[in-house]
Order: sequence, then structure tokens, then C-alpha cells
Amino acid sequence: MTKKTYLCIQRSPQTDKPQPPSPSQMEEMFAKFHAWKEKFADSIVDMGGKLGDGRVVSANDTTDGPFIETKEIVGGYMIVQADSMEEAAIVARESPGTMMPGSSVEVREIVTS
Amino acid sequence: MTTTDLVAHFFRHEYGRLVALLSCRMGLEHLEDVEDAVQSALMSALEHWTVSGVPDNPSAWLFRTARNRVLDSFRQQGRHERHLRSLAEISAHNKADRQTLLPEDAEEGLLRMLFACCDEQIPAPSQLVFALKTLCGFDVREIAIRLFTTQDNVYKRLNRARSRLRQLSQPLADLTADETTARRPAVTKILYLLFTEGYLSSHTEFPLRRELCDEAIRLTRLLASHSAGQSPQTFALLALMLLHRARMSAREDGSEGLLLLEEQDRTQWNRADIEEGLAWLERSASGDTFSRYHAEAGIAAEHCIAATFEQTRWDRVIECYELLEHSNASPLHRLNRAVAVAEWQDPAHGLALLEGMEPPAWLAGSYQWAAVLADLHGRCGHNTEARRYRETALRLAPSPHVRQLLQRRLQADGTQHREPE
Repeated sequence: MTKKTYLCIQRSPQTDKPQPPSPSQMEEMFAKFHAWKEKFADSIVDMGGKLGDGRVVSANDTTDGPFIETKEIVGGYMIVQADSMEEAAIVARESPGTMMPGSSVEVREIVTS
Repeated sequence: MTTTDLVAHFFRHEYGRLVALLSCRMGLEHLEDVEDAVQSALMSALEHWTVSGVPDNPSAWLFRTARNRVLDSFRQQGRHERHLRSLAEISAHNKADRQTLLPEDAEEGLLRMLFACCDEQIPAPSQLVFALKTLCGFDVREIAIRLFTTQDNVYKRLNRARSRLRQLSQPLADLTADETTARRPAVTKILYLLFTEGYLSSHTEFPLRRELCDEAIRLTRLLASHSAGQSPQTFALLALMLLHRARMSAREDGSEGLLLLEEQDRTQWNRADIEEGLAWLERSASGDTFSRYHAEAGIAAEHCIAATFEQTRWDRVIECYELLEHSNASPLHRLNRAVAVAEWQDPAHGLALLEGMEPPAWLAGSYQWAAVLADLHGRCGHNTEARRYRETALRLAPSPHVRQLLQRRLQADGTQHREPE
């Protein structure tokens, strides 16, 4: 059975000015990140990255972002491969994208056939 | 390079090294810009390294990034011209003729910062907070937890130190040898304070206490390795820290409870710390000053080298406490000496040392005073006094762990007899 690919979209709550993590917390985040990356090395197709500002374009209009309700912002994306949605959801749930309170990751299958 | 190659506390220690190094170059009046730049460089490392991996020389990467961030912030503030020269100097670190930006340079920056914050105009609690923030890389919330105080309080202390340091016209690099020597006792004092904040804390989280002790040892080691910091007192201080840390894990019973000295498994004591501590103690035995660090290191050494509790050379311990009383008179030293005398001779002799002594309020109101009296009276068969002091000690115990230890040690009928270390 060939694996399916999934797009993971990370969102965090829109806060005025989140308190930056301390160096100790960064150490911890870094260690957790690498533990996760190693554990799911086979599932991670593309680490993706952060998403910056953007623009919505339609046939006759262009709007500058952000685009969804201001209470949350899309922070980043990545692509994983898995046998099922359940499996892909596990990779996403344990990812750093869910680490901050209020953050979530949306997992969507990329349907190619 | 992989993540596992990063040394423990890499982010926190790099924070301290970079803040010190850049502040030395830019001047302390730019401390806040420098701190922001370093914080931002670390954030940037977190983002980049997680995706692209850790670069071969992560310290150099961070240094470059932080330096550029400082440059950016100066540009934005229109201060670019004024600082062009000092920044150009920093930027030139790749040139072969410059010897300044080597790793030991960052260490020297740390040391300079340590001396700078031990300014006599800055109260000790502010010095301590400043060192924890700037040299050790803890943030305000983390400091508040470790020192049992509020974040507001930490801010106040920090700002007091910062505003004093901002006023200083003297650049960090320009402390003369005489000034350095004059300030050294203040530096050792703050490191001692940092260590005891960890070692004597009744904080329930062992790793947090241990971390403060490790930080104190790291900075004292730095002091001992540099000509500006080397003195018999510095060596004795380092010895005492190592000899205490050697026994730290063995004080815990594995379920967060505390163990008495005689209950501890001596094979759990850290041999490497003991050997290193003894070596520094030997090195400290020169010059004509016998400091409190010498006395305290001597006591710790006696405990470390005794094969069993019974084989402790209590006479030597007593001698050290006597010397300590001479150099730093404190009724607490007398109290400790009484405990040692009770072991060396008998409880009655120990008790005799305390008779007629009027403890100051801070000591009379502490569990230690009541616990020792409860113990000594109990062992002398003075059951009424023993019970009374036992109740007081239990009431004053600062944490459940200490209370448990006292309950075990001071049984209500006065049958068991040992004093917490």
C-alpha cells in the first residue's frame, strides 16, 4: 500500500505580544523538537517552514492578508506521509506546532487521484 | 553537527557569554539593546536550526547573528555612526591579526561582567538577580521561582543594578588590577550567595536547587582560572562548593525526602567532585588569610573523607567551627559546633556550649535552633524540654520534607538521636 501525503497547517492564537521564551525554555523546545523529528523521521516528507505575510488573489481583486478571523494566525506548514489519517494525526499531535498553549495543527490529506 | 553535540544549557550559557561579550564592547549603557539582540539571535537559532540543522560552529553563528541584530537596532535608532568603530572592531574577528574573539574572550567578558555587577553601590540582592539574569541567562519568572520572590521584586532589583551600571562612565574593560583585587571579595561573596541559594534552599524541586549550585560552580571555576580572580579565598570557595555538591544527590531519598548525614549512602557521593574539591582546598592553603570559605571547606572535607559517620574526625570539625566563629562570628556556628561536640564528647557537653546563650530572633525563630535543642535535651534525658523544642521545630519546619526528617530524627519519646546535616 502506498502511503498518502498530508498537509499540516499550524495555527496559534493571535496574542498582542506573547512573552518570548527564556533561554531555558528554548533549550527544552529544541530538545523536544529533535526527539520528535527523530521519532518520525520516516513520516516527515518536508519540514515546511514558517509562513509570512501574504495576499489573496481572485480574478478581479487582490486583498492583503491576514485572511482568517484575527483571533488566530497561520504560523507554518509541513508535509508528512502516513498510511492513514490517524497515523498522520499522531505525527502532528506530537509536533512542536502544538506545543504552545492554544496552538493547533490541522491535518488534510493531499488527494492526488 | 547534531543536537546532541550541543553541551547542556547551551542556549542559557550562550546567552550569558554573548551578553557579556557584546556589552564589554558596546558599553553597559547599551545593555538592554544587547540583551534584546541576543534573545532575538537565540530565537532565530531555534527557527533555523530546527529546519536546517545545527551549524558546525553554533557559537560563532549566534555571535554573528546577535552582532548584526545590535547593528540593526543601532541603525534604527540613528546611532549607527557613533558605534561604527566599535562594531567594525567586532566585525573584524575573522582577521588573523586580531586575537580577541576567541572562546576565552567570551569567558573574559563574563568575568568582567561579574566584576562590574559587584559594584559596592549595588545591594547584594540586586547583584545576585543581575548575575542570574545576565550571566546565567535565567528570565525574570525563572529567577522569581528560584529565589522565592515575586517577579515584581526581581524587576525592581534588576533595575536597580541596571540603572547603577548605566551611570558608570568607566567602560567594563578598564577596571585596573587594583580595582579588580579590591572588588574580588564582593565577587566571591555573591558567588557564595548564589551557591547557598541553591544548597540551603527549602525549594521542593531538587533540579532547580542543583542548577543554582552548578551555576555558582561554573562561575567560580571561571574566577579561579583567571589571574584577576585567583586568590586562596577563591580556591577555598570553589573547594567548599564542590565538596558540598558531591553529597547533594545523596541527601535525597529518591522520593523527594531528605536524608540525614548518617543515613546517606556514602558510595553515592560524587568522587570526582570530592577529589577536585580536595585539590582546590590544598591549593587554597597559602597566604596569610584564613577565610570563612577555608573553614567551611575544611568542615565539608572532613565529612567527605570520613569512611562512615562514626569515623568522622569530629575534633577537626569542631576546630573549623571555632575558626569560623572567630572569622565570622555567628551564633549559627556555635550551634553547629555544639552538634559536633555532642558527637565528639557527649550530648551534655554540646548542650553546655549553648547554655546561657541568647539566640537572636532570626535564629530563635528557626527550626534549626529548636531541633538541635530538642535533640540534645532528648539525648540527655531531659524529656520535658525535648518535647517542647520538638514541637517548636516541627512547627517551624519550612517544608514538608524537613518536617518529615525532623519527625524521624526527633521521635516523640526522645529515643532517636541524630541531627540533620
